[in-house]
Amino acid sequence: MSGELALPASLEQVLGRLLHYGTHVASAVIALGLLLAFGSGGAGMRIATIGIVLFILLPVARVAAMLLFFWRARDYRFAAIAALVLLIIAFSYVVGSR
Amino acid sequence: MAEIHFGLEAWLFAVALGTSMLGGVLGMASGIFIVPFLTMFGRIDIHTAIGASLISVIACSCGSAALFLKERLTNIRLAVLLETATTSGALCGVFLAGLIPAAVLYLIFALILLLSAQQMLARRKESIVAPGGAGRWAALRLDSTYPERAPDREVSYSVNRLPLGMALMYGAGLISALLGIGSGVLKIPAMDTALRLPIKVSSATSNFMIGVTAAASAGAYFARGEVLTAVAAPVALGSVVGAVLGARILMSVPNHRLRLMFVAILLVLAAQMLLAGFGINLIGHAA
Repeated sequence: MSGELALPASLEQVLGRLLHYGTHVASAVIALGLLLAFGSGGAGMRIATIGIVLFILLPVARVAAMLLFFWRARDYRFAAIAALVLLIIAFSYVVGSR
Repeated sequence: MAEIHFGLEAWLFAVALGTSMLGGVLGMASGIFIVPFLTMFGRIDIHTAIGASLISVIACSCGSAALFLKERLTNIRLAVLLETATTSGALCGVFLAGLIPAAVLYLIFALILLLSAQQMLARRKESIVAPGGAGRWAALRLDSTYPERAPDREVSYSVNRLPLGMALMYGAGLISALLGIGSGVLKIPAMDTALRLPIKVSSATSNFMIGVTAAASAGAYFARGEVLTAVAAPVALGSVVGAVLGARILMSVPNHRLRLMFVAILLVLAAQMLLAGFGINLIGHAA
């Protein structure tokens, strides 16, 4: 396998871990929130909402991690592509909230 | 939505769990089932159902991405490049979703369900092109390899017809944001036929991108107040648990029978969405 074709395995590892643990944390927060909501209502629902926000931010964090990685690998073309994806997502939030 | 009903929450959890378990086996996002189930049987507003489904789509994508990454099936460079197209599509979808009447959304959904049923019956074809030196997109270094088991070998593949792939991805992003689904039904032809990726790479890379695409629209739905915690929370949780269980339990069920069952469910749901589009709801009461 020619080394220049594939990325160093470390990016795959970093992204894999981020998504794996991120999913666990967000799910746990939602589960905790729902359990509390059955007991007390409002406060629990707010915690569950935080879990939902964590899920929405997780893929965004993944793209940010890629941006950082490409930047440090001096692959500026792909760093710019990752930045563009983040920009489009940010723009979508602005458009959507109107 | 301060009031929380245990029955409703449990039902939402169960629906997400069941569809995600089934979907996981066939490598299909369960999002396509969640919106029809919630609107038809749960009488939940379609925008609320789409908001909840998007969260579930993100959860399933993130939850399964780690495994694909570990097996080196995901083409990360290609994914981020195509994500510029899918998120642009999502941006337009978010904008359109606010303008399109619910009845039209039902009709588009019915169409996508029918397309999925058709795709489920067709066999996916693989037409890998081995990298042949300096192609048009050589500077992007998208070509890669992936490990194949039995026999153990490293398979090289090249990425072809990038503009066509990007255009199809834009469409997939738009439909994803509009209907709250992962849009595998559009991504699979884009990746298999246009880009000519190996099936395993195309599945892994598509799954990887789905999370970002859904996140682009989910944030907008959230900002609009269309992601209701009481609905989205149990659906997201059910999807995650269902995906984990599905990968473990259902491997023993013959794939062919499951496939036909899926097609039958898709057709029933398509028929119902079609009727709902024309204002007829056979189950429960019209919303």
